[in-house]
Formats: sequence, C-alpha cells, structure tokens
Amino acid sequence: MKTEFDVIVIGGGHAGYEAALASARMGCRTAMICMDRNAIGRMSCNPSIGGIGKSHIVAEIDALGGEMARNADYTGIQFRTLNRRKGPAVQATRLQCDKEWFPRRIQAVISNTRHLDIIETVAIGIDVVSGRVRGVEVEDGTIIKAKSVVLATGTFLSGKIHVGKTNWAGGRIGEKAAYSLSMSLKKIGFRMGRLKTGTPPRLHKDSLDYDRMEIQPGEYPPPFLSWDARNDWRMFHVEQSDSASAESVPFTAHSAIKFQTQSAESASGDSSVFGRDPIRPWPPGQDQMPCWLTRTNERTHDIIRQHLGDSALYGGMIEGTGVRYCPSIEDKIVKFGHHESHHIFIEPEGRDLVEVYPNGTSNSLPEDVQLRMIRSIVGLERAEFIRPGYAIEYDYSDPTQLSVSLETKEVEGFFMAGQINGTTGYEEAGGQGFVAGVNAALKARGESPVLFGRHDSYLGVMIDDLVTKGVDEPYRMFTSRAEHRLVLRQDNAWIRLADKARSLGIVSDERLRAYDSARAEIDREVERLKSTYRSGVSLWQLLKRPESVYREVEDGLSRVRPEVALQLEIDAKYEGYIARELDRMRRASRPDEIRIPQDIDYKYIASIRIEAREKLSRVRPETLGQASRIPGVNPADVAILSVWLERLRGVG
Amino acid sequence: MDSDLFEIAHSVKHSGMSYLDTIAAIATAPGEGGVAIIRVSGPDALAVADAVFRCPPPLPSQRRGGTFVFGRVVDVNGAPIDEALLLLMRAPRSYTREDTVEIQCHGGPVVARNILQRVLGVGARAAEPGEFTKRAFLNGRIDLAQAEAVADLIRARSDRAAAAAIQQLAGSLSNEIVIIYESLIEASANVEATLDFSDQEIPPDVLDPVQGKLRATIAALRDLLGSWNEGHLLRDGATVVIAGKPNVGKSTLLNALLGRDRAIVSHVPGTTRDTIEESLVLDGYPIRLVDTAGIRETNCAVEQEGIRRANSELASADVCLYVVDASVGPDDEDRRFMACVQESKLIVVLNKVDLAGAPNKDISTICSLSTVYTSSKIGIGLSELRDAIVRKLSGGLTHSAHHALISTRHRALIEEALQSTLAAAERLEQERGALDIAALQLRDATEAVGRIIGKSYHDELLDSIFGKFCIGK
Repeated sequence: MKTEFDVIVIGGGHAGYEAALASARMGCRTAMICMDRNAIGRMSCNPSIGGIGKSHIVAEIDALGGEMARNADYTGIQFRTLNRRKGPAVQATRLQCDKEWFPRRIQAVISNTRHLDIIETVAIGIDVVSGRVRGVEVEDGTIIKAKSVVLATGTFLSGKIHVGKTNWAGGRIGEKAAYSLSMSLKKIGFRMGRLKTGTPPRLHKDSLDYDRMEIQPGEYPPPFLSWDARNDWRMFHVEQSDSASAESVPFTAHSAIKFQTQSAESASGDSSVFGRDPIRPWPPGQDQMPCWLTRTNERTHDIIRQHLGDSALYGGMIEGTGVRYCPSIEDKIVKFGHHESHHIFIEPEGRDLVEVYPNGTSNSLPEDVQLRMIRSIVGLERAEFIRPGYAIEYDYSDPTQLSVSLETKEVEGFFMAGQINGTTGYEEAGGQGFVAGVNAALKARGESPVLFGRHDSYLGVMIDDLVTKGVDEPYRMFTSRAEHRLVLRQDNAWIRLADKARSLGIVSDERLRAYDSARAEIDREVERLKSTYRSGVSLWQLLKRPESVYREVEDGLSRVRPEVALQLEIDAKYEGYIARELDRMRRASRPDEIRIPQDIDYKYIASIRIEAREKLSRVRPETLGQASRIPGVNPADVAILSVWLERLRGVG
Repeated sequence: MDSDLFEIAHSVKHSGMSYLDTIAAIATAPGEGGVAIIRVSGPDALAVADAVFRCPPPLPSQRRGGTFVFGRVVDVNGAPIDEALLLLMRAPRSYTREDTVEIQCHGGPVVARNILQRVLGVGARAAEPGEFTKRAFLNGRIDLAQAEAVADLIRARSDRAAAAAIQQLAGSLSNEIVIIYESLIEASANVEATLDFSDQEIPPDVLDPVQGKLRATIAALRDLLGSWNEGHLLRDGATVVIAGKPNVGKSTLLNALLGRDRAIVSHVPGTTRDTIEESLVLDGYPIRLVDTAGIRETNCAVEQEGIRRANSELASADVCLYVVDASVGPDDEDRRFMACVQESKLIVVLNKVDLAGAPNKDISTICSLSTVYTSSKIGIGLSELRDAIVRKLSGGLTHSAHHALISTRHRALIEEALQSTLAAAERLEQERGALDIAALQLRDATEAVGRIIGKSYHDELLDSIFGKFCIGK
C-alpha cells in the first residue's frame, strides 16, 4: 500500500467519487479510502438522480467535467422532464437509475482513471500538525500522508439506525458506522451536530398489483443530463423524423466515440462477468421502465396513528432534526392530518433487481407495523418486504466552519463535502464533492481555489448558503434558493461554466471547442435572426412569440445544434427579463467583490451589535456580501462593517 | 444587500464622519421657547459633560445612566453661562445607542448657541442634519422606515406633519406594510411551491387563492399610494397659488392672509412681475403661498416672463385661488382661465366686495364652484377663505393622517410593488404557462415592500412553503 499521496478522499459515496475523480483527473496522485470498494457509488436511498433544482447541479457538474450526469444517463432506466410548461428557469430532469449498474459503472470509471487508488480501510483520525493537515490515520495505525484531505463520509459518522424501538450503530443498513473519526474531528475542535434522515422499506416487484395503480411512463426522446449521452444518442438516432437534415447534423459525436473506445479496452476484465460493458451497459435511454402511482388512505393513516408511540421518531428515540421537505410518513400524518391521502410512487430499482422503492413511505416504525401500513395501500395489499424502512441519525459538521472553497477554516488543506456538511441528496453531495476535489487538488499544487458564487451557479448558491447560514435541517436544493434563477438555468450550465471548465482542465479539449463553437454559433445566429426579415418582421421578433420555435422560424439557411436552438428560443422569448436579471445580478454581486480580511477582529468594531459581532466572528465571512447574508447580522451592521473596511483600506 | 444602506454607508464615508467622534447639536426648534436642549452623543459625551458642567460631586461621568442632575454650564474660565439640567444616558440605553448627555437650559437662541459653542470647544463636533438619527439607525436602534420618519420629523414644519411622523415612528406604517408583505409572501409561496415541487407532490388547487390575495394586495398598495398624497402635503407643504387678472387685488390678498406686508401693492396694473412666495401654516398644513403676476395679454418682456412662471406654478399647485374683482365681475378671459383649472383645486375669490354695491349679476354663473367673497383691504371674508383652503386640502383625501406615507422613497417602492403585483396578477390570469416569470414579478413586489421594513424575502419564503404544504415524496 502506498502511503503518500497528493490528495486523500475519505468516503466513496457521491461526494467521494466526484472528489476523487476530479482530483485524479487534474493529475494529482489521489487515494480514496473506503470500507468496501463494492459499495462505491451506492444509491442508499431512492435510485433516482435529478429533480427540480437538483438537476441544475448535475448539469453543472457535467459542464465542469464531473461524472454524475454521465453515470446517471448511462445507467438510467427512466427519463422525465419536470415543469415542462412552467418556464425554462424551473425546467428540470429526473432519472430513475439502475441501482445495480449505477455503482458498477462508477467503480469501472474509477478503476479506469489514472492516478487514482482505492484503499479499503477505515479512517480513524485526521492527522493535523500546527493547523495544517498532514494525512489520515487508518485502522491499523498507519498514517497515510497527503497534502490535502477531503472528508466525505456521508451518514457514517456515529451513524445510528432506528427501526421502531430497536436501534443499532451503522452507516447504512448492513454497513458499519465510523465512531473514531467523529471523535477525532471533535478533538480538533470542529462543532458537530446531529441530523436524521430516513428511507422507506423495499418491496418485492412481483408482489404488487400493478393493474390497480396508475402508470407513469418515461419520456421519448429521453432528456439526458450529460453532454456525452446527448451526443451518443444523436449518433444513433440521427433525426429520424427529418431524414433530409441527416447529413447536416453538426455533431461528430467525437467525445462519445473516444469515450467508448476507452471503456472497451479498460473495462473488459470486469464486464465479462455481467455480459454488459459497465461503462455503457446499454445504449443510453433504451428500454425505459415505468413507475407507478398509488396513494395512502384513511386505514393507512389509522395504522400509523395507532403506532406513533412505537415509531423511533415519535417515540422520542431520535434527537436529530429531520427534513421538512422529505417528511417521513409519520410526519405527514401528524403535521398534515387533514389530508385524506398522500401519493406513493412505486419506482423500479433496476432492470434485473427484484426490489421496488415505494417513494413516500419513509418511516421508522417497527417492521410488523410497516408491513401492515404498506399492505393497507391500494395495489400493495400483498406486498412482500425485502427489507424494512429505517431512520438514521448521524453527525454532521457545522458548515459555517468552511470557506467557500469547502476547505475548513480551522485546518489548512482539510476539506469537507456532502452529507457531513448537513446536506441531503446525491446531487448536493456530488456537487460539493466535485468542488472540494478540485480545490483539494489545487491546494496540493499550491494554487488558489476555484470559487463558485450565487451569480454563476447552483453550486455557488448551495455553498454560499451552507457556509454562510449553516443548517438546522438537512439542506436540499430548490430553484427558489437561487435568486438569479432566470439566468442560472439547467439548459445553459455549459455556457455559464465554460470558462471555469477551461481553467480546471478536466473537460476534454474537443468538448471545450464544442462549447466555444456553440457559443459563437449563438452570437452569429442572434445577429442573423435580428437582421433577417420576413414580411417586414425580423425572424428574431417572430421567435419572440410565445408559441414559436426555432425550427419553424429559421429559414432553412442555417442549421444549428439543438443546444444552440434552445438557447436562441429562450434568449428571444425572455430577452427583457434576462437583461433585467443580469443587471440586478451585477448590482447584487458588488458586495460580494468586497473582501474581508480573515484576521479582522470583530470585538473591536464596537458599533456593531454584540449579537452580530458574535455571528461574524463565528462565520468569518470572506466578503461583505456573505456577511450581509448571515442570519442575525442586520443591514446596519453590514453598513458599519463596510465603513470599517473602507477605513482599513484607507489605513493599509 | 440593500442599496440604500450602501448609500448611507457611502455618504458616511464621504462626509468624513467617523463613528468614533462625538457630535452635538441644539435639539430643540430655533426660536423662543421655555427650554432649549443641547444634545451630545458619542464616546466622549461624558467627558464633554465633565468639562462644561459644574454640579455637586460626583462628576457627571461618574453618575449612573438614566439619571439627571441640576447644575451650571460654565465657560472656559469657569464663569457660569446658564443654570441647566443634565440628563445622562449610557450606551446602549440612548436614542443613538451611544453615550449621550442632554443639557436642558433656559430657552432662547443666544444661551443655547453659547452652550453649543462651549461644547464644541471641548472636542465635540457639530452634528449634521439628521446625524443622531443616522447613528441610531447604523447602531441598529431603529429600522429604515423609522429612521426616515425621524428624518422627516426633523424637517416637519407643522404640528400636523409632526403627528403623522410620530405615528409612523410608532410603527403604524410598518404594521400596514407588514400585512401587505405577508400576503405577498403567501402568494409567492403558493407559486413557488408549484415550481419547486412536482405536480403530484402538491395539491392541484394550490394556485386558486393566489388571485384573490393579489387583488387584495393591489387594493392595499393603491390605498397607501393615495395616502402618500396627504403625506406629501404634510411634509413638503401644499402649494397655494393666487392668480387672476391684473389689479384684482392678489397681492393685497397675499398680505392679508400673511397678516403683514410682503408684496408691493400699487394701483398700477402689473406691479407684481415675478412670483412671490411665502410660508404659512393653516390648520396644521404647511403652505407655500405663491402670488403670481397678473395674467393678461402683454408685450412687456419682463411681465411675459412673470406670466410664464405663473403658469408653471399653477401647473403644480395644490390649490388655486382665482381672484376676480367683484365690482366688475368675471369676463370671458376669467372664464377661460377657470375652465383650465381642475375644479377640485379651484377657489374663486370675489375680492373688493367693499367696492361693489351689490354682487354683480354675472357672479351667479360661477356659483357652482367654491366661491368666497372677500375684501382683503378691509379684512372681510378672510377666515372663510382660510377654511375653504383647508377644505380643499383635506377634501378628496379620504385617508386620515394616521398612516400617511411620508417619504418619497416609500412612494417609489410602493409604486414598484404595485406595478410588479399587477404584472404578476395579469400573467397568472392569462397564461398559466410561464409561471417562472410570474414568480419573478412577485419576488420583485415582495422585495420592494420588504425594503421598507428591512425584511428578507428568501429566508421567509421557504418557511412559508413548508408551513403550508406537505411537500416531498
């Protein structure tokens, strides 16, 4: 076992693999420490990627060169667009993934990645010398050295699983928890808190009565999350509806080809066992599987009400704070008792798996009560359990101890990402993992971090929320968290982040060239549409009409790729609103450009209220904008701080 | 961050003010009064008191906050300037949240000014207008709406304006804005819930109550804008213009209303060639009384300029007193002129009734308008005229002064909120499609209203969503 690396990532969940891949792809010698290499990339809750607000993050990860979008697309078994008619800013994508193939593919990608080692062991401590990380202590007492360390341990820190009144230590069902590491963090001085989340029981697919439920099919053509899957698809489905245009499809789908060749060479060893290439187990989007919809009823609610006292959540066994927007079914009945029924979504977990996921039934009731409760639901009367639902409590670290790079302020070179920071969701974890991995790599190279802001990405919104406001319940992304929602869309993530992608150097050159040429194409086409008239009206004006689409407006002289056409349609229809939002964004981001020295001592700024001084000292905001968003710091405090900063600048 | 605060911070920076210095000013209105107050605020306020104030031990700086002591203010040689009461307030228990002393001395401009000079001589700096309030605000003592009310209080030129400003300070404006704000947040929450959660997670009728809520909000915002008109009169004063043909006695009327000679009065038509402006207070309304050049056809350049100004004054007038010589009666020119003035603003003054044996019969033709018979020369009808002016100013305003909007900034924000709410309501009604834009417009409206009371849209939105809906699978 090598014992010296540039970057160590602890944990192999969604934050962990994005961090490790980003770091290794940036050329840093990277080690991923995990308990079990076969658990890397596991989907411990529902087998789904994306959703409103979340798919924005996934698209951003993809634009920057991360893996999650691609991995979901290539192992997806159902693809849907959400909010299709509610406007582009809130349009989103949600995929059901194959629970078996999703981790299998990630594991194959990892083993194909240069500079990336997997070390199967348990991390028990962070080695810190005079405020700087030096490595990670593992089970057998060895210290593995690294210039930077990313902690991405998810729910494993002091994890405790509850089913009814029974509970035991564990990180996920069937997996151990990590206690020593949590102790080590507390010893270093990190403020830790406790959160809880839960997961529903898993049912056997053959025990359900599908005729009594409503079918929810996938969408065709499938809406993909990743650039590569879109290219891949186009290669095999060359505008079937419009064969005349086949030759002029601008895409060579180079990246997809190259990417397949790579996988065929390297993954041959693993894939033979399953008979499928783990990197491309099937053509993306092929053979989608439906979900099913049913609902709870009064009997279901009665059963839950009668047994509330046996629930870990309501029996007082759980101290951690749960999630308001992903409530357990006990919560739904107690807090929203006036609702006659709640939706239950039956989601397939994989092509060859017998488990199905009854989304909406997360609970911590005893197993026998869970079974009765499930069987009271239409279509689930004869349901068989594969395993019961459970609630899990775990330690998180107060994210206000992080700077915007996700490095801890206390320990140089030490980064945290994912659920450890109080978030929930694969997408939120993956996004942080990517940012932490990139910045850990940059740190190891002695370079300054890449920072994301509220004005450029959902990644920036999420990180700013976390490091500024902290969390008091598991943090999930919503589009309403992004104040510049109209500009930060899923469809333009590749445009917004093109420059950052270039500076990171993870995305291939040819894809960067494709970004560039697409951007140039947009500019050219806007010009052309504005200066080409049809019966006295410019094509641009025509395109502005709510019902018009690019394909019908353009006069056949120019052929653009679909990504470009989409941008043109949105830019035309939303021109005024977007311009206004950009202007607002420029104004709002001014305080974010005023940096606050990290050694400022708020004690001495007497004119700031004491409460605000305490909050400021605790968070140590990096910019005036961040300071203004700290709860408990009022506008007057910020005004005073800004005057103070001016004065400091004057002196210095 | 609120751009207004940026501006405040900016102005603070550029006026060279520092929070570390001590400021002083005479806090009472200029003029003769029973008591005058000199207020000193800042880190050295107590030291200033020690230096200028003599009292039995202990020294002022050794005394507890919230106490007062009788003594003498002394000059640099120790000679007494005046007997005075010293009030001590220690930070943060003062208006500015800084150490503050108030010296209450005998009224009269000379004594107060001497004491202020003395205070400034020992290290305090003269406060800029509104600076105590600014400090109170920057020190988190009061919210933005309250600070502006205080600023207006300082400027208020009459009792009634002061009452409105005090009401606002007590939070009656804030209360009303809070109600509007909360209803906008609720409407926003419903719209946002449909955007952030898929159709099956939320009730299908979630948008139904939004229209009604927005209609109520639009009405409330319009109400506030209506009340602004009165607020504006109270603060900036009403403009009352005296107009009429030459030599009907406009200047005499002005002098009679003021009770002193301001305008040159002569019998030569066209004597007043420029507009003359004076202030007076009628029943609590601060009034700008403007005498204009007589309106007539003329080729004298100076007089033409005077007439041009008169017309521009008329355009912005709150009330127009159109003076007609009662002994002559109105002619076509008068009628043409009166037809151009809004009836709600017009008072016809039939002047010189002392000269007319009996009111001219033509007068009956204008009786449907507000008409007052006066003789400014011998003082007949003046109190009726004053009443008529007050009626005009308060008439048409159904809102009492109790929640008069005070500042222009508020007006602009309310106007912005109204426009955004109207746009959102319209969009929601027309096409249920592009909800993201309706949501944006609602956010604009909510933020505009929130800026008056310093609330943050984002923090409250999610709470509102989760409080209302059982969301999530």
